[in-house]
Amino acid sequence: MLELEKEVNGVVITFFSTASAVGKTLISCNMASELARQGKSVCLVDYDLQFGDVCNYLQLLPKNTIADVQRGFTLQGDTCHVEEYLTPYEYRGVLFYVMAAPRKLEEAYNIKTDYAIKAIRQLQLKFDYVIVDTTSMFSVLNLDLLDLSTIVTFLGIVDFIPTIKNMKIGRNTLNELNYDRQKLWLVLNRSNAKTRISIDDVEKLLGEKFYHILPNDFRAASQSIKDGIPLVLKQEHTELGEALRDLVLRYTNQGQMDFEEDHVEDVGTSWLSRIFS
Amino acid sequence: MGNRVMLVERDRLMLEKLTQVVQGTNGFELVARYQSVSDALGQGTIFNPNLILLDIEAQNSVALIADFLKVYPKAAILCMGEKWKAESASHIVQAGARGYIIKPFTGLELQEAVDTFVKLGTEAGCETLVFFSPKGKSGKTTLIANLATALARKTHEQVGIIDADLQFGDMSVFFNLAPKTTIVEAARDAKFLSPVTLHSYFMPVMQNVSVLCGTATPNLIDKVSIRRLENIISMSRSLFRYLLIDVPPGFNPTSIAAAEQSNTTFLVSMINDAYEIDHMKRALEIFKDWEDYQERVKAIFTRVEPCNSQSQQELARQLGYPVTAIIPNEYGIVSDAADNGKMATDIRPDSPLAQSVDRLADEITGRGHRIRWSAS
Repeated sequence: MLELEKEVNGVVITFFSTASAVGKTLISCNMASELARQGKSVCLVDYDLQFGDVCNYLQLLPKNTIADVQRGFTLQGDTCHVEEYLTPYEYRGVLFYVMAAPRKLEEAYNIKTDYAIKAIRQLQLKFDYVIVDTTSMFSVLNLDLLDLSTIVTFLGIVDFIPTIKNMKIGRNTLNELNYDRQKLWLVLNRSNAKTRISIDDVEKLLGEKFYHILPNDFRAASQSIKDGIPLVLKQEHTELGEALRDLVLRYTNQGQMDFEEDHVEDVGTSWLSRIFS
Repeated sequence: MGNRVMLVERDRLMLEKLTQVVQGTNGFELVARYQSVSDALGQGTIFNPNLILLDIEAQNSVALIADFLKVYPKAAILCMGEKWKAESASHIVQAGARGYIIKPFTGLELQEAVDTFVKLGTEAGCETLVFFSPKGKSGKTTLIANLATALARKTHEQVGIIDADLQFGDMSVFFNLAPKTTIVEAARDAKFLSPVTLHSYFMPVMQNVSVLCGTATPNLIDKVSIRRLENIISMSRSLFRYLLIDVPPGFNPTSIAAAEQSNTTFLVSMINDAYEIDHMKRALEIFKDWEDYQERVKAIFTRVEPCNSQSQQELARQLGYPVTAIIPNEYGIVSDAADNGKMATDIRPDSPLAQSVDRLADEITGRGHRIRWSAS
């Protein structure tokens, strides 16, 4: 039986933020899990090269990492097949693959962006979905990832002002980089955490509404991290798990994308505006 | 008590220029001037200068300074050169000079140089403290801001903060600053600056604390080269008794360059029930490359609950390395402070957060042991 090489490039979804500790790893792992649970072929890539937590969260001991892929490209050129360097994750019949971050910090520091991007392009040919976890800065690698991604999920949280400021700066920078508006989806995590700033204020500041909002469920998230089981794969239903499943549904129902370009009025006299004067 | 100045400058024209400047500046009296070093050493004592402006271009500055100090033990020596050279700066200060000024200078610059280097006190020497974190959201910016104010309060010495985060510098938000100049401009102008003129790029935030703010918009391409950053750090060392540097998370050229220049590098992480300790361990392994890492590298955890010595010991055990300080979880105070451009330790000076910052400040200033004996 012939195995047809996919002619269509898979979807690359990059999880990006400019505020730190917003939940990129948790959400990307859960997204990969949910897509896999729905029967899609998925590869999860950890490009938080120095301190990535994908393998920590999934409690995986990878045999190979992106550092090995780089060595492969260097030695074998185009005959190096990235899919041979993946680590499978399996739980109760749900299966997806992981491209692990380097084991050693020195290896991480020496990963060349070109090879990292080349790996994604190869994976795109093999999988329906390539989910990428990143760092919260505009590194050369991240900029290339943003270019290449089908969808960029820009993640934020409502925290104190420095965090909001960094989200705003990130959003503005993304605007300046002129990405297709349809490609950037703003998602809010930990939305009802006990903070002093409201979602409304933040949306006004960013000038748009959040595409999706995930609730705060520190207990469920911590437990999931402890167990090494993504929330969407657990037997028990949690608010956060449900919200994550909903997010994935919205991603896969691309025809029904109700992305509203809500032009929210600029901040004006909002008390948050002073930090951007 | 005026400045009795002796000028020592080889070049005739420059000597004339500088003479006019010194004579034209209030509070400065030119008591002697020489083109020849031998003459200055042999003949100048009659005039009893207390401030020597010493040309060190094309000279063995260290030997020269030593010679002048022998003959003029009570004078303050300011070295003059045509441009700032980082390598010479630490040598001249170690050799006993007070500081460095670029020539030609104006009367104002001369006055500023004297003010700056006199304020440093008789102990030349700056402690550079770099705060490294494996990932963002470590609590280090809060820590640096509050620690700087504690150090200034306790020692009455000059404390400088450099926000070397070239994409998302938060220091200006913490101090509620709208900076006119940031590290980007300082780096851009670095070639033409000397410590005294660099000082104007720092914003004073309170008594004895100044901040060189990070960038307002992310650097997507390197507007700040590492060499220039190193220059800025080393120039700043002449300005402050304590220099605290905030760097972007992870290992990158900026954080590495800053750490290399540090007297102490603090590794900071926030406890979040995730993999913080793993990350700290990994980071620590890299720093163990330094021969003197045990003295130079210190670990700090923030948001520690409960914040007591058992927790500290347990963290040290898990980390496999001593934990120098733990900071408690006081999200309410911290966010309130940051949202209003105030210091958490000012809002609640009696809080456990303020106390733990104070303890760290004591340890840094070496007062931890002396507290029992000191009368003040």
